[in-house]
Amino acid sequence: MIEFTEAARERILAFFAEEEGTRLAVRVGVQNPSPVAPEYAMSLIELEEIEECDERHSVDGLDLVVDSESARILRNTRIDWVESIEGSGFNFNNPNIKPLGSEPLTGPLVERVQRVIDEHINPGVATHGGAVRLVDIRDGIVYVQMGGGCQGCGMASVTLTQGIKQVFMKLVPEIVDIQDVTDHAAGTDPYFSPEK
Amino acid sequence: MRPARTRTSRPRSNEPFPSAVSSAADRPGDRPEGRVLLLVTSSSYRAEDFLSAAERVGVAVTVASDHEQAFAGVAPAASLFVDFSDSDRAVSTVVKLHREHPLAAIVAAEDEGTILAAVASAAIGLPHNPVKAVRIARRKDRFRETLREAGLPSPRFVTFAIDEDPDCVAGRATDDIGFPCVVKPVSLAASRGVIRANDESELAAAFRRVVGITSTAGSRGDAREIIVEDYMPGAEVALEGLVVDGELRTLAVLDKPDALEGPYFEETLLVTPSRLPEEQQKAIRWTAGRVARAIGLSHGPVHAEMRVNDDGVWALEMAPRSIGGLCSRMFRFQAGVALEELILLHAIGAPIEERPTPTGPAGVMMIPIPRAGRFVEVEGTETARSLAGIEDVVISLRPGQEVVPLPEGNQYLGFIFARTADGPDAVECALREAHACLKIAIE
Repeated sequence: MIEFTEAARERILAFFAEEEGTRLAVRVGVQNPSPVAPEYAMSLIELEEIEECDERHSVDGLDLVVDSESARILRNTRIDWVESIEGSGFNFNNPNIKPLGSEPLTGPLVERVQRVIDEHINPGVATHGGAVRLVDIRDGIVYVQMGGGCQGCGMASVTLTQGIKQVFMKLVPEIVDIQDVTDHAAGTDPYFSPEK
Repeated sequence: MRPARTRTSRPRSNEPFPSAVSSAADRPGDRPEGRVLLLVTSSSYRAEDFLSAAERVGVAVTVASDHEQAFAGVAPAASLFVDFSDSDRAVSTVVKLHREHPLAAIVAAEDEGTILAAVASAAIGLPHNPVKAVRIARRKDRFRETLREAGLPSPRFVTFAIDEDPDCVAGRATDDIGFPCVVKPVSLAASRGVIRANDESELAAAFRRVVGITSTAGSRGDAREIIVEDYMPGAEVALEGLVVDGELRTLAVLDKPDALEGPYFEETLLVTPSRLPEEQQKAIRWTAGRVARAIGLSHGPVHAEMRVNDDGVWALEMAPRSIGGLCSRMFRFQAGVALEELILLHAIGAPIEERPTPTGPAGVMMIPIPRAGRFVEVEGTETARSLAGIEDVVISLRPGQEVVPLPEGNQYLGFIFARTADGPDAVECALREAHACLKIAIE
């Protein structure tokens, strides 16, 4: 079941009040279940907009509508309303989409991937002052962080697709993709800086 | 922010630019074949978007750039080192690659690679722009001469070598051009080194300054001349296009709503669709087509800068490449296709629809650089991202980087992207509001 915090509930009721005279429901859904940047949708709908494939629940006096696929992913999600100097909005705390790197990395695949990073990837990027760290492996996708000269480097995407991916395709063919989860904006010593 | 009836709530995480692009390779009949050689400088803003597009389209890419990449040699067809300034040697390198890993196309992501793309394509026998046309487009003086010979409107200009005496230059240009005039390096882009002068002393000072900029531009400024030309009043627009079978297909006409009147010409806003009267837009498209034909561009992307006034449409530049920086992220074509996908699909011979147009009003702001100094941070990006119509805010400077505004500056501070069905005015408004949220710290 999806839960709302009191702050979220109050905010939704305030939005309902703005639409006086119309009975509304709140629809929530998952737009993108990526563990890197999950995206959720939230909207107010009229009751006649509820579709056959939707699940409808009454939660703390609110009419909640969720499509069946989203309902599976949103099980036990807690929706909060947060306000900060950076802005305000609904925050989805979803236990089914665990943050990358939140669980210990173990097993033979992890060991093979780590060995490839140690023996083939890092010696390569070290020539540009860079380093690559394994963050997670999920569903055959390796998530990495690029540090040193790679963090913020204008050619990081080239290193990833034309170097790191090529190495993995050759040495660990069961890996289906490599995704870079680096905060490149925070890189302070990029090897190549973009110019006009 | 409220959960509007129809609007998706913005994700709160610092996620990458949301991609609405579906896989072009999934569409029947679009499955591409062949390898593309992508020419990018190691200081390119464009590599990531082209590589993402290649992945979505499903085309194999070799990246050729002007510095050795970190994994050179690990996967021989993945990357290549070429010296853009040594054409003969670079062509030999490309031809050798083609023998071992046959190429279907060569695409230059930015100005530096356009001549090599044309020369190497000619050597291999791939579709390409004539080398002469690309050389004309690379130099503002030859571009203007060609337009004048073709009877197309073009500012009057005089060319000077960078070692000429600035006071003599100012005297001659005063006689030949008059005021106001504009001083420009013949081969730099993105308004670098472009300065308006209103009298002889300003002109001499501007010339001295542009000499300095040209001298330190490295491979970006491969010509050692400067032009002084008429200042063209009027509204400035950009045009993004694709030349298919020798005919220019206009993809978008972009308004530049901030006045560009000098003394420097920092581009900020680009908004599409244009709000100029349809008759003027027609004239812009028509002129762009004539310009492409006059200089001989016959294949691939073009990006043009034009001014519109009572005397007509004046083409200031037309480059055989797509738009610079990260600006292309504002475009989404039918089925969510990105500009780079369109370029790659065309390059490998996939059919391009008659007139691809962006799917809705959109815009970008190249965030102005307020002053020189050491870049610290930008606050307020999350607030800006949460505004209606704002798709993303990307800060492209890194903490600690030295930052220099135009006319010397050669880096973008960052980009704000907007898209809304409410029309181009709403796009512009969203971009300005988002910019107002940003607090840029430079020390």
